[in-house]
Amino acid sequence: MSEFFNQYFDFNFMGEHFGEVFDAFLKNLLIFVVAGALALTLGLFLALLRQLPGKKFMPLRAVTIAYIDVFRSIPILIVILLISGGLPYLEFIPKDIRIPHWFGQPDPYWYGVLGLTLVYSAYMAEVYRAGIEAVPGGQVEAARSLGMSHGQAMRHVVVPQAVTKIPAPMLNELISLLKDTTLVSVVAFGEAALIAREIQAETFNASAYVLAGIMFLVITLPMARLVDKLIKRNQGKITRGSHIEVA
Amino acid sequence: MRTTRLTATFAVFLLAIASLVVVGCGSSDDTTGSTGGGGSGESSEPLSVGSDIPYPPFEQGKAGEYTGFDIELMEAIGEKIGRTPEFTDTSFETIFRDVAQGKFEAVISAATITEEREKAVDFSNPYYLSEQAVLVKEGSDIKSLEDLDGKTVAVQQGTTGQELAKEELGGSEVRPYPEGPDAVNALKAGTVEGVIIDAPVAQNAVEKSGGVEIAEKVPTEEEYGIAVAQGETELLEEINKGLEEVLDDGTYKTIYEKWFKLEPPKAIFSASHEAE
Repeated sequence: MSEFFNQYFDFNFMGEHFGEVFDAFLKNLLIFVVAGALALTLGLFLALLRQLPGKKFMPLRAVTIAYIDVFRSIPILIVILLISGGLPYLEFIPKDIRIPHWFGQPDPYWYGVLGLTLVYSAYMAEVYRAGIEAVPGGQVEAARSLGMSHGQAMRHVVVPQAVTKIPAPMLNELISLLKDTTLVSVVAFGEAALIAREIQAETFNASAYVLAGIMFLVITLPMARLVDKLIKRNQGKITRGSHIEVA
Repeated sequence: MRTTRLTATFAVFLLAIASLVVVGCGSSDDTTGSTGGGGSGESSEPLSVGSDIPYPPFEQGKAGEYTGFDIELMEAIGEKIGRTPEFTDTSFETIFRDVAQGKFEAVISAATITEEREKAVDFSNPYYLSEQAVLVKEGSDIKSLEDLDGKTVAVQQGTTGQELAKEELGGSEVRPYPEGPDAVNALKAGTVEGVIIDAPVAQNAVEKSGGVEIAEKVPTEEEYGIAVAQGETELLEEINKGLEEVLDDGTYKTIYEKWFKLEPPKAIFSASHEAE
């Protein structure tokens, strides 16, 4: 039992390696922020494409649905491995895109960001879609009868209402995204999980894993609390009626 | 009336269970009988062995049909000491902790004997003498280890190649991949300019994968050993005895030539004896 605590909860050891693990954890955050922003943007775009009306846009809708279905269904690990292993071979693409070193970040960073963005934009599109579909159809009809185009109705009426309904599921996706940034270790990007493994390989002490886990907790726990709060607030709105407005 | 019926059902149920138990005992008796008749005796219990697979040509293949130099050597040793090895695929970074904790009895995984590792586990006599190789793309300007300084270099996480890269290539970005083939693929894809990895693995990549070549071999005085948990002296002695027999009767040479297409170095015969 004491061996277990020496192996996993050696606080002196954690103190000695704090800097190393923290620097690596910052890289997780850097992946999270960039991939998160890209996925939120691309996801909204996909959700809007999916809502395009009429026969004319059928092919575009089909492509969007196919994208969302495919990327929701492939494990992120495989997506990242495919990108990092495959993209560099595509010689018709300029080298700066195949093997990107933008903003001082090495190519494994960008393969990770790309992989996570592809998958999470599909997840996010589904969240946006739930929000959009929760806006009563009468709203669109009313907007259209006022002479707004489909695009205008989406922009001024539907989307502003939709986004107020989805912060909780959106945050849940973001929590998952933050945790999934550790998957980028498979392409040898020195984030927290990889560095913790390395520390363990050198020292035979696994406390660095626990330390890295704690760092994730510090960010994700408040996020989870916030999700609970948002859900409660939303339920309050529904059960008590819309006359109670919470700013 | 109802009670009687219930009792009857219960009795039938009991009878069914009883007959199952009897049948069960009968069949287990049969198996014990046949094992005893086989004559391999009490020492025929399997030997659980951990290995990080794939690491060709040392360990490769699918679950249940693993093969490679380490695997065949371990099987040959197992035959000498009357214990059939059963292999478990595991990851290299945790392999020594796992054998120390008893998750398996022995480790054969192209593992170099180092002082640091000996703090956690006990090693057998060396069964293989190794070199590191600098693997580069075919036609690359990089001709030696020093040429790699300042370049992006791939290694396998937790290996001696990684240590060598850290020591010798201060100006380089060193990328630790989870598995050796990942590092080789990064080289072929052009995201790194060199790989530092065990020479046989490099040789295998040159033959099987193509497009890459060995720029330089770096002797490292590395010796591979089979690891057991500390204090498992009896098992360690048996493994050493088995290894010696395998070396002496030519089995080692056959396996070595099969996997490396080379004669085994003479030094291995003395190396595995001198430790006694």
